[in-house]
Amino acid sequence: MIEIKDLHKSYKMGNNSLHVLKGINFKVNEGELVAIMGSSGSGKSTLLNILGMLDGADSGEYTLDGVPIKNLSETKAAEYRNKFLGFIFQSFNLINYKSALENVALPLYYQKVPRKERQEKAMQYLERVGLKPWADHLPSELSGGQKQRVAIARAMAAEPKVLLADEPTGALDSTTSYEVMDLIQKINDEGNTILVVTHEEDIAHMCKRIVHLKDGIIVEDKKIEQVRAEQYV
Amino acid sequence: MFDRDIWQEIFHSIKNNKLRTFLTGFSVAWAIFILVLLLGSVNGMKNGFTGQFADDANNSITIRTGLTSMAYAGFEADRRIQLRNDDVEYISKSFPKDVEYITPIMNRNASTRYKSETGSYSIRAVNPEHLFIDKTKITEGRYLNDNDLYKSAKVAVIGKKIVEDLYGKDSALGSFLEVNGLPYKVIGVFEEDGRDDNAERTIFAPITTMQRIYGQTDEINQISLTYNPNFDLTEALNFSERIENLIKRRHKVAPDDQAAVRVFNYAQFFSEISSFTAGMSMMSIIVGALILLAGVVGIGNIMVFIIKERTKEIGVRKALGAKPWQIIKLVLLESVFTTVLAGFLGMLFASLILAAIGPNINTPAFANPSVSISTVLTATIILVVSGVLAGLIPSIKAANVKPIVALSDK
Repeated sequence: MIEIKDLHKSYKMGNNSLHVLKGINFKVNEGELVAIMGSSGSGKSTLLNILGMLDGADSGEYTLDGVPIKNLSETKAAEYRNKFLGFIFQSFNLINYKSALENVALPLYYQKVPRKERQEKAMQYLERVGLKPWADHLPSELSGGQKQRVAIARAMAAEPKVLLADEPTGALDSTTSYEVMDLIQKINDEGNTILVVTHEEDIAHMCKRIVHLKDGIIVEDKKIEQVRAEQYV
Repeated sequence: MFDRDIWQEIFHSIKNNKLRTFLTGFSVAWAIFILVLLLGSVNGMKNGFTGQFADDANNSITIRTGLTSMAYAGFEADRRIQLRNDDVEYISKSFPKDVEYITPIMNRNASTRYKSETGSYSIRAVNPEHLFIDKTKITEGRYLNDNDLYKSAKVAVIGKKIVEDLYGKDSALGSFLEVNGLPYKVIGVFEEDGRDDNAERTIFAPITTMQRIYGQTDEINQISLTYNPNFDLTEALNFSERIENLIKRRHKVAPDDQAAVRVFNYAQFFSEISSFTAGMSMMSIIVGALILLAGVVGIGNIMVFIIKERTKEIGVRKALGAKPWQIIKLVLLESVFTTVLAGFLGMLFASLILAAIGPNINTPAFANPSVSISTVLTATIILVVSGVLAGLIPSIKAANVKPIVALSDK
């Protein structure tokens, strides 16, 4: 599903150049649930930005579902992001003046799905994350866990190939974190490919594979026994 | 454009920034208010000028003569040029296809009496064609006819104001009016469209009658004529030049003598008025546009601010797949909507004021200032352009927001 070969990225800081990614080789198959771990400055955010087509690489190859991702125009990148990727953010990033339903429907709006169909589909996904009764509520009327579930429904609404989650539990307490991880595991059980960036060991162990980044290279890449979040909920 | 979601977002944005939107919208409304008032005033000037001459056919030419100002063809300067009956015939015969109506005119003062009421008016001796040149409206009786002219009948067509002055409750038609000591039978009463009251204090009599009474003469003061109404401005001006040259040649006047023969063409006058008012309109638009510029900068300013506030949201939208053009569209529409809405309010106020006071204003140089469709169209076009202008920089700024900001948590 995702294939990365010898990926390099550096940032210019005045006269100095900061080499953040120093040759990443990495492959994710369909249906995997991968945790990307590393301390701050390890390059995990940069890697996620490149995977999410929010930033370009200096050199190396990136193939997503067989499509080479290189030199994209803004418009093309937007189209690919919409088609291939679903984002889940640490701070949820819901649009605060739109109801839960409208937030979930937003990616479909950018796919030019007709309004009625869009709302039906959004409602289905809200139901899947167990928030159908809250469809008309504004984000400010929801708890942190509920907000993240709306965000997950939004990420899935466009039926992307890969879900990218950047510290999805970073702003949540541990009980809520496990609820969210439980949802992510269930979505993964249905065959969706998911990448989770996290620095929390317990969250990482709820995935099926852990990739350790340190100083811009992968130091460890191992399959693990998945810990089900269900038991903590 | 008619996407419900876009409008929902625009309304949300305006609702959240009511005061800010109002203050900037006010500057645009104010600018358009001034622009429309200015254009309405120019309209008022135009109405005032053209109203002065509404009582004459606008394809008419008048010819008057005076003293020569330069020696020519063996004659000395200061010779009086006198128009005569045969000048009228000469012109008709020279331009049979171009002249529509033509009349000689002789003007005299008229001390007038009916029973015990007296008044001082002017009497104007003409032929029946004068009716069409002066656009005289007969309200009672009839105008002069060829038979009156042939018989040199002592008949008169009098203005409405004279009837009001002299007749009280009596009927003027068929009565005998004493003009300069001689009785004339009143055969008609007329009124004029123009605002010049003196036009209705005139007595029309047959030219033949007057020429016989005032010394068996064939002298006249003036020739009025109308030309082919299909002439455009160039042809009309060309025609009056041809007439001028003809009269000058006939009376042996130097071709460049400005004083001896004076030909006045209404077409020229009207074209001068229209170019004058067009110039004024242009100036109003420029002044209005300059004031509007301040409003546009204001709206641009508020948009930049809103974008800055919504940077994160725009980043999220881009991460979810919003294309740059969709972001630009959102910002531009909001800007155009605010501008046009504010502008229309300004236009509405200005129109209401003009509609309320306009009809009450009626002076020679300024009458019924009003808003025309073309004014509304001009203002609307200016508004939409301004809205786009105001939103352009902020929208490009918004489109350039990197979706990465959605990931950075501040």
